[in-house]
Amino acid sequence: MASKPITSPVPVEWYPSLSVLMLSIGLVLTASFFIYEATSSKRSRSLSKEITIGAVASFFLGFGSLFLLLATGVYV
Amino acid sequence: MAASTSLRFAFVLFWISVLASTALSDLVISKIDRRVDLTSQIVRVVSTLKVENRGHDTVSEVLLPFPDIQAKNMAYLKSSYHEGKGKGKQSAISLPVTLVHPEGMPPELTFYSVSLPRGLGKGDSFTLDVLTVFAHSLKPFPAEITQADAQLVVYQDSAYYISPYEVKVQTLAVRLPSGRVESYTKYPSTKLVDSEIKYGPFENLPPFSYIPIAVHFESSYPFVVVQELEREIEISHWGNVQITEHYNLVHGGAHIKGGFSRIDYQSRPPMRGESSIRHLIARLPPRAHSVYYRDEIGNISTSHLWANSKMTHFEIEPRYPLFGGWRTSFTIGYGLPLRDFLFESDGKRFLNTTFGCPINEIIIDHLIVKVVLPEGSKEISATVPFITNQWQEVKYSHLDIVGRPVIVLEKTNVVPEHNMHFQVYYKFNNLALLMEPFLLISGFFFLFIACIVYMHTDMSISKSSASYLAKQQLDEVRATVQQVQNIINRVLSVHNKLETSLRDLSRTGDVQSCKAVRKAADGLFKDLAKELKPLLGFLQSSPQASQIWPKVEELVAKEKEMQEKLMAKHSTVVDSFEKKHAKRDVENRVASIEQKLAILRQEVDELLDTIDDF
Repeated sequence: MASKPITSPVPVEWYPSLSVLMLSIGLVLTASFFIYEATSSKRSRSLSKEITIGAVASFFLGFGSLFLLLATGVYV
Repeated sequence: MAASTSLRFAFVLFWISVLASTALSDLVISKIDRRVDLTSQIVRVVSTLKVENRGHDTVSEVLLPFPDIQAKNMAYLKSSYHEGKGKGKQSAISLPVTLVHPEGMPPELTFYSVSLPRGLGKGDSFTLDVLTVFAHSLKPFPAEITQADAQLVVYQDSAYYISPYEVKVQTLAVRLPSGRVESYTKYPSTKLVDSEIKYGPFENLPPFSYIPIAVHFESSYPFVVVQELEREIEISHWGNVQITEHYNLVHGGAHIKGGFSRIDYQSRPPMRGESSIRHLIARLPPRAHSVYYRDEIGNISTSHLWANSKMTHFEIEPRYPLFGGWRTSFTIGYGLPLRDFLFESDGKRFLNTTFGCPINEIIIDHLIVKVVLPEGSKEISATVPFITNQWQEVKYSHLDIVGRPVIVLEKTNVVPEHNMHFQVYYKFNNLALLMEPFLLISGFFFLFIACIVYMHTDMSISKSSASYLAKQQLDEVRATVQQVQNIINRVLSVHNKLETSLRDLSRTGDVQSCKAVRKAADGLFKDLAKELKPLLGFLQSSPQASQIWPKVEELVAKEKEMQEKLMAKHSTVVDSFEKKHAKRDVENRVASIEQKLAILRQEVDELLDTIDDF
């Protein structure tokens, strides 16, 4: 019976650095999202731009927090 | 206790004598050696049987009877044989053993049947080894001792091997932990050598022969009994197998009588209570990480960990030394790398790990092994080398939506012999791994959407009040001013393009491209002016814009002037280039225009800044 061991999709050693990297990108995008929300007036705001920034920021924040959980030993 | 046991044995004996005539007579045990190991709290009996067929029919199974009193404590039974003889002996091959209820046999006996690898013909013989492991078979006697006393225990058995067959020659050896024996049943041909009592050889005994023996000896071995152990093995495909073990532990030896003296325990070694549980050693698999040891009130600091490439030694001390009858409960947990335990074959994944607990030489009354598989696992099945109760549950853990499937294996009377590998097979799609990040992403995205919705909704209650309307108008004015700014900025960028085209012209001399840029710029200026017109009209008419309107007006005027100057400059330069005027001439001509342009540009920038602050 040929059985091969299963490993994680991303090497376990990368989790801390991946989490820092992705969380910082995510937080920068979040900051830019809120700056845009606060500075643009109601009429000049573009919904598609808001949603795009929000989606990209949540992608990075989502993966960043997942890797943070994994790096701290909470294996989800 | 001892008396009642003897009575039961006597009762068995009675039945045996009644039923002896109906015993199977085809097989004969020509030789049996039994070795009973009493060095720890677990009783291990190794018997080597040589069976011979004296009948005419082929026999393919051997019956192994056990008195009920032993059978109820029996934790493990394994029968094996060696292929070949002498030096050519190979490793043991195990034989299937099943519980049977043959007719016409004494009801006080429990029968197991061993299937032989081949039928025994007339006169054939076969040698097999039987290992039986009993839990709770050593009874402390006296049942209560003081801290300074040594623990004495009693073991009872039959000197003759109870068998439905005639036994030709047999011996029994009982190995004790030390030479300190209080008493033992003496028959002719019984001898005590060092720490071993030998009975026999006995010859030519009829079926179901029985004589009781009792050995009363000192055993300082701590009787660690885990009344309930729950092991949870949680698989995460992100790279970890987390094992959590909840122990409910009791000292199963002689109960302590009188008080416990910590001073005696610490300072006077002979009084310290030899049989107390001081520490436990768990042998964890190699590369175990994040090991912890705690109970209800928190971390227990008395633990030590050594690791090498083959094993992780984990020594734990309970909060207090455990004497007979005392109990404690604690939890240990550790993480293991995924690649050591999880494998894939034929499209199925399987976990391959050990069943029992990692602590040495303990009896587990009730063991529950829960294997928590990742969310989305399907077609779950477990392969365990012995009989267990199995059922499935669902567990909710971090970032779960439908819960994780759990396969639960339950077994009572577990001894170290059960520490075998077992497998849990399941199917899993790697895409299901993305469920957890997807959940997190959608959580964050929901937050952003909530913000967007909040910013876009108008929450004011009275939509007709003066202040509300004024605010609405002011918002509109602001938006319009911003649009005007944008248009001006775009115009300015076209200006820059024109300037660049002029520089390119002086460098390359490409008049055509310069004219093309000019044409495009003209078109753009027209479009932008068209866009600007309604915005300016709105600003002029709006009362809220009265403050900013002069500035905007000025800005637009300045820009227009700038545009005109620039066009003039552009036309002059292109014209003179076509007419091949001297470079210096051209520069002289546009110098005044350039000066004005610079001033205008500065003014426009300042105006843009002031409008920005609006």
